Amino acid sequence: MAEEQKKEERKRRRHATEAAGKIGPMVKATIGGTVKAREEGKSIAYAFIVCSYDEIIRAMDIVPVWTENYAGICGAKRDATRFLEKAESLNFSRSLCTYALCGLGFDQWREDLDEMPPDAPWGGQAKPDFMLSSGQILCDPRNKWYQAVQQYMPDVPIYNVGLPWPLYEDDIKIAEVEDYYIKYIVEELRGLIKFLERQTGRKMDWDRLSELVDLGERTWSLIWETYELRRAVPAPMGTGDAMNTMVPMVFMLGTQEGYDFFLELNKELKDKIARKEGVVKDEKYRLLWGGGLPSWFALSDFNYFNSKGAVFPVETTYRMIEPIYRLNIPDTNDPIERLAWRWIRYWTYWYDKARKRPGSEPDVERLIQYIEDYQIDGIVMHEAFSCRTWHLGLIWQLNQLKKIYKPIPVLILGSNRQKKDEKRELPSLILESDIVDISSYSEVDTRNRIDAFIETLEQTKKNKV
Amino acid sequence: MTQYFAGVDIGSTMTKVVIMNKGIIAFNIGPTGPEQRRLANKVMEKALKESDLPFEAITYVVATGYGRINVPFADKQITEISCHAKGVANFFPEAKTIIEVGGQDCKGIKINNGKPVDFVMNDKCAAGTGRFLEIIADALGIKIEEMGKIGLQGKNPAKISNICTVFAEQEVVARLSEGVSLHNLVAGIHESLANRISRMVNRLHVVEEVVVTGGGAKNVGLVKALSDKLGYALAVPPEPLLTGAIGAALLGKDIADKALHDGVSLETKERSLKEIKIF
Repeated sequence: MAEEQKKEERKRRRHATEAAGKIGPMVKATIGGTVKAREEGKSIAYAFIVCSYDEIIRAMDIVPVWTENYAGICGAKRDATRFLEKAESLNFSRSLCTYALCGLGFDQWREDLDEMPPDAPWGGQAKPDFMLSSGQILCDPRNKWYQAVQQYMPDVPIYNVGLPWPLYEDDIKIAEVEDYYIKYIVEELRGLIKFLERQTGRKMDWDRLSELVDLGERTWSLIWETYELRRAVPAPMGTGDAMNTMVPMVFMLGTQEGYDFFLELNKELKDKIARKEGVVKDEKYRLLWGGGLPSWFALSDFNYFNSKGAVFPVETTYRMIEPIYRLNIPDTNDPIERLAWRWIRYWTYWYDKARKRPGSEPDVERLIQYIEDYQIDGIVMHEAFSCRTWHLGLIWQLNQLKKIYKPIPVLILGSNRQKKDEKRELPSLILESDIVDISSYSEVDTRNRIDAFIETLEQTKKNKV
Repeated sequence: MTQYFAGVDIGSTMTKVVIMNKGIIAFNIGPTGPEQRRLANKVMEKALKESDLPFEAITYVVATGYGRINVPFADKQITEISCHAKGVANFFPEAKTIIEVGGQDCKGIKINNGKPVDFVMNDKCAAGTGRFLEIIADALGIKIEEMGKIGLQGKNPAKISNICTVFAEQEVVARLSEGVSLHNLVAGIHESLANRISRMVNRLHVVEEVVVTGGGAKNVGLVKALSDKLGYALAVPPEPLLTGAIGAALLGKDIADKALHDGVSLETKERSLKEIKIF
């Protein structure tokens, strides 16, 4: 008699906050909204997050289709493989950014069928009227993805926005070069507006744009203030939830809905802090997610950490804001100039601090600040193989951090068996997988590493003087 | 009353059990295979038979290794990182860095007083593991146990450029047919493996004393190549396959001692040996 096999059941991911739990339906509605918008003849743009054009497209009533988001959804629903394979069959390398591969596979399939691929996650993403790319100085896929997909949609034009920022160099004073970058970015954004006016047949409403830029700035400050509440012990919200709450941060910037979401989250976190309600009942370890896009198909790994008493009060990933007062944006009534200043000042915010610590650099300085502010016991990073942009340099950052920052006092046995004081770096863990390609992931290996890391944290705590 | 502690290390390739008192009373090493993962009870039975002890005499059982969840009679499961740290420190109290070359993975562990403080793992690629050596030994028609001595005789190690185990195998066969000597080929294989391992381990900032353990430590040629690459002398425990299981047993003793010290009862599983039910 054949043995009965247990049906594999995926446990539902647990959220610590109600706000994070609302994101799924919100995103589903947004994706469905793009399909509806298409049917209603609204202007639809393929867009990338963190490109300084959120308020611009909102002011012109353009409906964005966030293609990275859709690939992340396919990954989270563990339904990206067929789109990755489709892209591979089109001779795109499997080593490319898997957001792009997923999108390329999906779009080619949709165009080939002239309808959504069968059982497309959450109804699929709508065909755009135009595409707005921007690789900035980081990401080749965000420059090339839409050019590649244009093969399958030759009637869909692209505008590529140049958004550089000054690199961190010891001998360059940012104040001396900023104006050049601002001038360039303002030109790029004005060029974008002209492109959008041509494509939509509508003129920019400059008053509305000013209002939305102001709303965007208030949203940034509100998000920062809200996330800072996670300094509390026990932490009321973790990175697992933040991978949901990033949606209104980067996909709904410049909307009242996005702002209101964080008002609600702010209140919820304050209530939890007042009740001393943390992510876990018995919080043993506070961890920093120090870099790396998450494996969208394995967000339940955060729950696994939680089951060991480990929480993530803070992360660098998708925390793409600083409070506006810190950025010292010069006074200007021009909303485009404000966007340009916000861009430059955000990306160079940590430079001055980094210069004050020998051996540091902006990303490392940010890690140190978070370690101290959030009382961090250990650092976790994720190396996603297909994303060199965000992941190349993570190990260097960790190494550099270990060299220049040793906050843990321990007693060790010296060579003459005498006890001596020493300072140690924080324990760290590097997970290896991908953002969308689940074939890169082994739950057994990942959880084995997490188990070993928890044991390391335990020993470090015991040995701490 | 004499206390006995058992450590069960179910690795990807080999299963190891030790029973300890003040030293090792009995041990058993055998291939894991597909069945062994659910037959940890059999391995334990063999070790008990050798020690002439009933299972009830074992005070505490700790399981480790990838298969540790398949040991239903274990009182606790602890990762091999902690167990190797403890086991190595038992032999080398001054040890600061451990390199474990296992059948299907490779680890670097930094330790302080026998406790792990940092680690790196390679578990995605066979090219840094014992499996690499098995595949090459098979391709060359030699026994894996002989590789160490054969490699030591190679004075001009061949350069094996491929980092992928499968392609390295092809390269080795091709070089053999070109007339490269077996000794130099095997020496080259050891160098290639040492390169892969050292690249991973160097992420930890290696500090002496460095100990190599796991099945790979039994290969004298690999140990020499690794020592040359890292620039450190490498210590090897008396039976490198057992350090994980020894560490597990010693950690079990620590748990029992702590319970006694704290005046709490030691929670243990029922002392009965059953195979795990997977379906």
